[in-house]
Amino acid sequence: MDSSPANKRFAEDIAVTFPLLSDWKRKVVKDYGLLDDKSDYLARATFVVNKEGIITSIEEGRTAVDPTGAYSACSVFEKKKATTP
Amino acid sequence: MKTRIAQLAVFLLSVVFVVHGQTTTPAPTQQTAPPAAPKTFLKVGQPAPDFTLPDTTGKKITLSDFKGKKNVVLAFYVLAFTGG
Repeated sequence: MDSSPANKRFAEDIAVTFPLLSDWKRKVVKDYGLLDDKSDYLARATFVVNKEGIITSIEEGRTAVDPTGAYSACSVFEKKKATTP
Repeated sequence: MKTRIAQLAVFLLSVVFVVHGQTTTPAPTQQTAPPAAPKTFLKVGQPAPDFTLPDTTGKKITLSDFKGKKNVVLAFYVLAFTGG
């Protein structure tokens, strides 16, 4: 839960081209089941959400750092787009 | 690959443990293994919980604003960007 100022500095350093959000109050990590209240431990994860707002892919743990899974999930969108007249 | 990514609105939620203020250090003999990372209860096929969070400019970003418009990648990164 980096603060917005910390995120801003990071975003400037690496020139990110996507929104970098701050979940300072830990509400979203809780809603996504990534916060263990008892141990105060947090998990890394990547979710792919389609245009209907449905989760189509979940990567957790070490694999969440590797974007390969997210790329694969996104390629499904590309294939659908290519086959849709 | 880059084109594919460019077509997505990608969120990167940086998550960091705040360890400042934790002053007690257990003795070596009392150390235990760190707790396992929690596993999400969400499943593929379920609706993604909606949220509104500020970006680096203070602008509020709401997930549901992308509904019907764009696919979204949500990346939750713990201990990623600051010394926490």
